[in-house]
Amino acid sequence: MIATGDSASHEAAWRALPWLANGRISQAERDKIEPHVQTCHACREELAFQRLLCNTLTQPDRVTYAPGPSFRKLMDRIDGTPQPRKTRERNNTVVGPPIARKFSKVSLWRPPGLAWAASFVLAIALGGIVTTAYRSSLPLYTTHTDTAVGTSSVLHIAFDRSVTIGAAEEVLRSTGARIVEGPDSTGIFGVTPDNLDAGKSAARMSREMHVLSTRLRADPRVRWVEPIPEENSAGSAQAQTSRGS
Amino acid sequence: MKGTPYIDSTTPSEPNYRSGSSAAREVELISRIAQGDRKAFEELYGLYHRRLARFLTRLTRRYDVAEEVINDTFYIVWRKAGDFRGDSQPSTWILGIAYRKARNAFRSSSRILAVENPEIPPPLLTSDESIRSEELRDWLVQALVQLPIEQRLAVELCYELGYSCEEISTIMSCPVNTVKTRLFHARAKLQKLLPALGGTAPTDNGGRTRSEGKR
Repeated sequence: MIATGDSASHEAAWRALPWLANGRISQAERDKIEPHVQTCHACREELAFQRLLCNTLTQPDRVTYAPGPSFRKLMDRIDGTPQPRKTRERNNTVVGPPIARKFSKVSLWRPPGLAWAASFVLAIALGGIVTTAYRSSLPLYTTHTDTAVGTSSVLHIAFDRSVTIGAAEEVLRSTGARIVEGPDSTGIFGVTPDNLDAGKSAARMSREMHVLSTRLRADPRVRWVEPIPEENSAGSAQAQTSRGS
Repeated sequence: MKGTPYIDSTTPSEPNYRSGSSAAREVELISRIAQGDRKAFEELYGLYHRRLARFLTRLTRRYDVAEEVINDTFYIVWRKAGDFRGDSQPSTWILGIAYRKARNAFRSSSRILAVENPEIPPPLLTSDESIRSEELRDWLVQALVQLPIEQRLAVELCYELGYSCEEISTIMSCPVNTVKTRLFHARAKLQKLLPALGGTAPTDNGGRTRSEGKR
């Protein structure tokens, strides 16, 4: 219900309310619509709603991203440094030191006909053998993070690649975690319990970290959780292996 | 994860990018960028990255897509800094580029997540102000995804980034009335998508059912 004012002034005020709410309306327009808004119940309600939208959308996010890694990617692009993966897929040129580029010229030679097909099969077979041998030489478990950072107050986790920002926030909220580091170039975050208090005893802190790691591992959206060195390292390693990391 | 943590969720600090001193500083940075000054470029990138990342991840729900748009935007800034004549605010110029890149990403990319469930569960009723506020935000973000891209961008530019109607018209390269119309329709849709918002929000209207203000 509109208390006063004609339809045109109501329409004008209604359309300008978002900028009255965000404080960016011009003085001339403010002077024009405010008398109507003050006496129009519908406009006052709508203005309250608009202010709620502004307040809601300007709240700080739980997760923010530091510019460093993205900026380095951009500078690589500006400098013309080829992206390794794209280079392999699209340009088929070798990225690396001069010696590698020198040898890359050899690959320009193409054996004719069946010889080329045989070379291809042989290369695949050799590649398989080398890969198998390499994998067998690797330890079953490796960590991708700096162990110096992995103290008992920080857990390192990786979300599944399909997890959206909203879903990641939901995981953090439901498990009671708070991000304190990352993501690094491999997408690993450092998290702590959101009720972490420096005044807590070491045993209490260790227990809370254990509870948090258990919750995170139980969530299918979390692909990987760094084991806690001090407690249940065997169980952590088992969980790690079971996720196939 | 060596060195400074990449995430600082406790001390978000948005630069006051619409203040006169900030705009003057950005004009200076753009001028130096036009001369190939990389330090200036890094500083300007840092000033805008968080703002654009938040704006774009909310739109795309994907940080990798947002990062691509940000870097496409600043790739243009690097190349075209010499063309900036100061006819508009630096933030309007940069957001204009970002807007076009984001719009193109939406139109050409199938990676943007489709809306799978148009039914939006209402926010929980709780007495905890911070939790309720967070739920409202999540709910609103879900509702925004339902809007056409032009309306969604207009909403974000107005409510989140706080641009004036004239600035948004410059960023979106459209008349002022088009901006108002886009927001008018966006507001109407949000009202339909967020029926309980007025009743659960800490408004000063006493929780009454809101009208659309039409006669």
